Amino acid sequence: MAKPAGKKPLTKKRPVRRAKKEMNPFMPILLICLGGLALFKMGAAILLAAGLVPTIVLGITGKGSFKSEKLQCVSFMNLSGVLTQFPTVWARPNSVYDIIGEPINLLVMWGAAGFGYALIFVGPMIAAFAVQMLAQERTKSIIQQKQALVELWGTDVLGSKDDEPAASKSKLKK
Amino acid sequence: MSGEITPIPVGQSSFGDRYEVIVASPLVEFGTPGGQAFKAIDRENKSSAIYAFVHDPAVPLRNELYKPLQSRPIGNLICPLNRGLMTLDASGSKQRLVTIFNRPTGGALIDAKGVLNPRVNPNVLRQTVVLALLKALTALHKIGFNHRSISASGIYFVSAESNDVVVGECYSSPAGFQQPFANEALEIAFADKSARGAGSFATDFYQLGAALQSLIFGEALWKGRSRSTLGMARVNQGSYWALSGGRDIPGAMGTLIRGLMADELDERWGAEEVLDWFEGIGKTKRTSMSSWAMSRPTNFEGVAFVDRRLLADAFGREPRAAAEFLKTIDFPSWMQMSFRDEILTEKLENNLNVRPSEGFGGLRADDHKMVARVCMFLYPTGPIYYKGLSLVPSGIPALVADAFKQDDKDMLGIVLEMFDLKFLSALTEIVGDKNATFGTEVTNLKKILEHGPSKQLGRGMERVLYELNPILPCASMRFERVWIGSIKQMMRALDRLAGVGGGKNILLDRHVAAFCATHGDGLERDFNNLAVAQSNPAKFNIMSVELFGQLQRRLQLEVLPHLSEKLVDGLAQTVKGLKNKKRREVVQNALDKLKKVGDITRVMVDVNMAQVQALDDREFSQACNTVTKLERERQKLAQKVLPTHPEAKQKGYKGARLIAFFSFALLTFMTFY
Repeated sequence: MAKPAGKKPLTKKRPVRRAKKEMNPFMPILLICLGGLALFKMGAAILLAAGLVPTIVLGITGKGSFKSEKLQCVSFMNLSGVLTQFPTVWARPNSVYDIIGEPINLLVMWGAAGFGYALIFVGPMIAAFAVQMLAQERTKSIIQQKQALVELWGTDVLGSKDDEPAASKSKLKK
Repeated sequence: MSGEITPIPVGQSSFGDRYEVIVASPLVEFGTPGGQAFKAIDRENKSSAIYAFVHDPAVPLRNELYKPLQSRPIGNLICPLNRGLMTLDASGSKQRLVTIFNRPTGGALIDAKGVLNPRVNPNVLRQTVVLALLKALTALHKIGFNHRSISASGIYFVSAESNDVVVGECYSSPAGFQQPFANEALEIAFADKSARGAGSFATDFYQLGAALQSLIFGEALWKGRSRSTLGMARVNQGSYWALSGGRDIPGAMGTLIRGLMADELDERWGAEEVLDWFEGIGKTKRTSMSSWAMSRPTNFEGVAFVDRRLLADAFGREPRAAAEFLKTIDFPSWMQMSFRDEILTEKLENNLNVRPSEGFGGLRADDHKMVARVCMFLYPTGPIYYKGLSLVPSGIPALVADAFKQDDKDMLGIVLEMFDLKFLSALTEIVGDKNATFGTEVTNLKKILEHGPSKQLGRGMERVLYELNPILPCASMRFERVWIGSIKQMMRALDRLAGVGGGKNILLDRHVAAFCATHGDGLERDFNNLAVAQSNPAKFNIMSVELFGQLQRRLQLEVLPHLSEKLVDGLAQTVKGLKNKKRREVVQNALDKLKKVGDITRVMVDVNMAQVQALDDREFSQACNTVTKLERERQKLAQKVLPTHPEAKQKGYKGARLIAFFSFALLTFMTFY
């Protein structure tokens, strides 16, 4: 039956809840750390702020799955690059502007972050290769297990033809 | 089919070599409806005259009489000497129950053809026969049994020289079984020949009177008389006059016989009166029929009935016409007019439940029962009339046995219809205290009758047969040549049957199942399970092994090699059906070993096929599940793993992070230390 026009349906529509965006804690932590460090060593804080630019960019722009792993990977590598200049700035905080001004130093710090990006790119490829190798080993073991079961229980154990792909069944029978 | 008939045990005789039964010399005068008599020789006492009675397996015998009579024989009564199974070559070799009796050699007082023994005369009758029979009856009554088979042709001179007589045995067939109408007391005579029931001591005295009357007249008075005319004559004139054909017996013998043949139970002479008669104390009694007369005659089928017993009998013989008659009359008015002395109470009216015609023709479902109820009201001490059958409740065991013997399915169907507790209760209510034994007899039957309508294996009318007649051997066709009186004997017979290749599905034989359920405690459930499993041969065979194994253990039977082999062979299909190859081999080897041993119990316990099969099924199901899981996994693994694969990505990123962390840690260490 058609509902009378102009009447609102009895059931209220539930307002669709939008999933809250997860707040990335990276930036606040970084700012707090840099602020804290600036209180003691202004130069070191400036070096970190300048050297960790790739990490900061990734922290702000990074999205999608495995964001945290990617960020951590780039962060660790970026930090490794920054660490090469850190003792100098720590000892002479005024030299920080000279160090930042040298392109080679920036190249080292930011290049290290680039190496982190490279690891992120290569990692899944290497992992896919390794997983593929392991799967082949496991497949061999599965075939052996099935063979043993067929020997003990006969081919009935393979179930009806509908359940089983024909190729694998004939392979096992052989 | 020969393979399906159980072979008889070779040369087996319960008596050893003691008795020789001469099957070529039948002794007709000692035969009864329960079997045939043959001349026999006692090899240990060649001078003794004996005869062998070969029992008919379809006729129950009065087993309760055997021990008392064999251990303490009664004088002037042919008592059993011994009994046992024997293999006889009468009509083909058969194993039969044989009872040995002492044989009187003087001949019957009236032979089978109705010719009077020349030695019989009134003096002999008065001085010897009456006293001898009285002695036999009182001794029998003293131990709690009645005879119920006394007839002039069943009384014998002990020897050719002596005038002493003995009365024939009463153990080989049920009480009153197949006795002529004339020889039965009126209160039970109207019942069918095979359903006259246990009777009472008084019925023995009636038979004594009838036998003496025949001897006095020198005729077989029971012969050549139609039931209907003789019945009418007996009711109208009294049995004494009806049988004698209006001839009186003068003197003391006449008085005695009239007293013994009195139709009213209260007036019939017993042992005390006969003793008084011997002492010369006359005690003449006349029968009176006033109590049975209706106030107004009832016309039924063109005959005007005044006696309610005759009307009941006429109704019982013509139940359809009686139903029509009862439906057309105004029953309460008819009752009031015909039975002025009786009050038709509401309870009685409800019990009789006579409903007028409802306008449409034909019989209603309850009409036959309605006629039966009215007949019971008309003749409360008489038999139950139902669908042309007339029976005394205690006669049902013999009637059922007879119906099975005749393979009379109609009769069994009628008896089955009577197994209605509501109907029997209504009859008991109608009879009330007019028939003291009726209620007890019905109550005794009730528990057994519950089996009748059941279609289950081990129940049904076959179960009723064996429950009511526990002495009856198993009536299965496969045992027609052997006598199966117990489960032990059945197991041995089955072993022989298996030896000749028979016995397939023996447990589905309704007679075998009913016999086992009757004689073995708690076997009913096993047979129910067997019936359920009959469509599944593998399960059925396993259950058969379990049942036979259980019986072999319970009965402590010797090894049964043929049966064991047959049962193990029956398991071949089940063994073949086992999926696990190793288990199949192990079970087959175990069965092959046990097959030769002949111990079914061990087959049951050591192999336990049911358990093995269940385990095999369970493990097979598990193996199937495993294979499915493995196949699913294999299919999953067969896919090519790309770097975009979630697993590769996860592992790749984690690996990269790990490398980055170690690099960072290493550089930190190197920088600061």
